[in-house]
Amino acid sequence: MAKIKKTLLSIVFSIVILFGWSVFNSNNVNADEKVYEIGTDVTFPPFEFANDQNQYVGIDMDIIRTIAKNEGFKVKIKPVGFNAAVQALDAGQLDGVIAGTTITDERKQKMDFSAPYFKTGVVMAVGQNSSIKNFQDLKGKRVAIKTGTAAGDYAKSIQKKYGFKTVTFDDSNNVYNDVTTGNSVACFEDQPVMQYAIKTGAKLKIVTKPANGGAYGFSVKKGHNQELLKKFDAGLKKIKSNGQYKKIVAKYLGASAVASQKAHKTQNTFISLWKQNQGALLGGLEQTVILTVLSIFFATIFGIFFGMLGVVPNKFANGVSTTVIYIFRGLPLLVLALFIYTGVPNLLGEKIPAFVAGIITLTLNEGAYTAAFVKGGIEAVDGGQMEAARSLGLPYGKAMRRVILPQGLKIMVPSFINQFIITLKDTSILSIIGILELTQTGKIIIARNLEGFKIWTMVALIYLVIITLLTWLSKWVERRMKG
Amino acid sequence: MSTKIEVQNLKKSYGSNEVLKGLDLIVKDNEVVVMIGPSGSGKSTFLRTLNKLEEPTAGKIIIDGHDLNDPRVNMNQVREKIGMVFQHFNLFNNLTVGENVMLSPVELGKMSKADAELEARELLKEVGLEDKFNAKPQSLSGGQKQRVAIARTLAMKPDMILFDEPTSALDPEMVGDVLAVMKKLAKAGMTMIVVTHEMGFAKEVADRVIFMADGHIMEEGKPEEIFGNPQNERTQEFLNKILNV
Ligand SMILES: Nc1ncnc2c1ncn2[C@@H]1O[C@H](COP(=O)(O)OP(=O)(O)OP(=O)(O)O)[C@@H](O)[C@H]1O
Ligand SMILES: [Mg+2]
Repeated sequence: MAKIKKTLLSIVFSIVILFGWSVFNSNNVNADEKVYEIGTDVTFPPFEFANDQNQYVGIDMDIIRTIAKNEGFKVKIKPVGFNAAVQALDAGQLDGVIAGTTITDERKQKMDFSAPYFKTGVVMAVGQNSSIKNFQDLKGKRVAIKTGTAAGDYAKSIQKKYGFKTVTFDDSNNVYNDVTTGNSVACFEDQPVMQYAIKTGAKLKIVTKPANGGAYGFSVKKGHNQELLKKFDAGLKKIKSNGQYKKIVAKYLGASAVASQKAHKTQNTFISLWKQNQGALLGGLEQTVILTVLSIFFATIFGIFFGMLGVVPNKFANGVSTTVIYIFRGLPLLVLALFIYTGVPNLLGEKIPAFVAGIITLTLNEGAYTAAFVKGGIEAVDGGQMEAARSLGLPYGKAMRRVILPQGLKIMVPSFINQFIITLKDTSILSIIGILELTQTGKIIIARNLEGFKIWTMVALIYLVIITLLTWLSKWVERRMKG
Repeated sequence: MSTKIEVQNLKKSYGSNEVLKGLDLIVKDNEVVVMIGPSGSGKSTFLRTLNKLEEPTAGKIIIDGHDLNDPRVNMNQVREKIGMVFQHFNLFNNLTVGENVMLSPVELGKMSKADAELEARELLKEVGLEDKFNAKPQSLSGGQKQRVAIARTLAMKPDMILFDEPTSALDPEMVGDVLAVMKKLAKAGMTMIVVTHEMGFAKEVADRVIFMADGHIMEEGKPEEIFGNPQNERTQEFLNKILNV
């Protein structure tokens, strides 16, 4: 039994060290070159979207990459979603954002913009068979918009006047879907985006002229990364004069380009979809597994530590334990993830990688639950056991270690297994901070091919398979511990 | 005969409920004191203050010359010398019978594991359970558990042992075996305070019987005095009740 414990421990340790090393290592590969982390949207075609190979392409992507190449810097694209990108930029987690960001006075309070690189206006689109023609027809109806976008702001600004309701979504795909399914009667979107979506398959039509004309700009946090902004502006001038800019726009908005994209959309069977996306999904799975293993490891240590603090005969320690459990069990995981990813850098002035923020989030949250059942498990051991041990002269620590903990652990085993499974599932919430785990990978694939049902089925099946494996592993360990 | 335990004006309250209302008691070396009294009178509480499983509210406890109020006194060392046997045995459920007996001498560095095992086997033989060395506590009867608990206490070579109703959770046919072990200890000169309602045991081995009620010692004396000719009205009332059930 002791031998098995030792082997298991050493296996866990080697896994942790291995992962720790690979994470550390991958962060240091490019340490000698200046790499800017650029945030962008998950899907905002034709400006940014993942292609068949799950590489990010689009007008924005081509512009930033071309400029980077010309001006001699590197970029790392982070498709975290528009909102998350803007927040992460403000938190100092990202160096720049290029995400079809309309330049507005309000945004200028928080960001410095480049010269405009694309002119646009807001249009309204409705279902193909809809009779709605203008804003007046929207009275009492529901309109879909995307959070934090200029098109959304425009819709809200005229919402009172025309008496419609708005519903917001985090990515464009869901906005269009809401209209095609009839949940909403119309959506507001930037003109090129809408045009491109319709050309590539969205079953919508544009019914208004572009309004509220504006322009997109590349942005950095106000007062920060000024040299990056300068390089962008200089680079933009260059590609506009040397024809590269025109080429990029034509590539995505020219008739032939769009047609070829559309032609690409063949009928997709489950098998062919799997073959196309296998690589991406398995990559997502790997991230999910790494996140799960590391989080379980740290959350267990955290949980045992704070659970023990809750039972030692010391009022202060008990108070600390109760407070920690109360706070981190009470906070929704989503809020905690965003707080750590965007809030902590604001406090410390240090970037933290999304991956590390994710591990910290899960450690705190799952660790708090673990602490609660560790505490409960120890308290569930009959009080007479501790009294008998102390009456023999055993000090508290020895009595705890030799008598109480072994009995408490037995009580806790089912809770541990349960918590491991919950941790695995909770990694999906980390998609909110842009970690490319399984759920986020699924989101991105769907944003590209609109095959929501089939892809989510695959994602769900993968989760079930690993949850089953994890359950088996836990039960096996449990049996070994008993034996 | 030297004094083993000296208690002066001992008080204990739980919140506003005063359970011990000022007890005085002296127990000499080799003395066997039996404590009787109605339920809730504070007998368990009293025993538990003697090894500080309960912190007294006021008063003085001197064990073997060590004043327990003295902050320099190491309570763990004092406890090594005061055995305690509980009504519900409290054997360590995660350990075998042998490990139960060996745990504290080994953990506290009193003996090597090998010596402790020899000692444990010897003690288990004394309580008639030499064949249970590898058994789990869960597989024992109540009477067997209590005898293991006594062996576990003896493994620390205590100077005195406190028994809190050691037979009251047992089936009647088990009581005799446990009492036999306790009588043997008493006759071998162990200092003991025993809370019990086993009158036969008290008559046979007690040097003194103490009647406790409402957090006070109401009466004390030789067994034949207390049982044959109780002076206090409460004592008479109590004895009538338990002898006429
Ligand atoms: N931990 C505690 N908290 C509060 N009150 C307690 C506690 N332990 C004991 N008491 C109270 O102290 C009083 C005396 O209890 P104690 O167990 O000492 O009585 P006893 O004489 O041993 O009774 P019994 O014969 O039933 O064992 C009771 O009223 C009981 O409710
Ligand atoms: Mg009692």
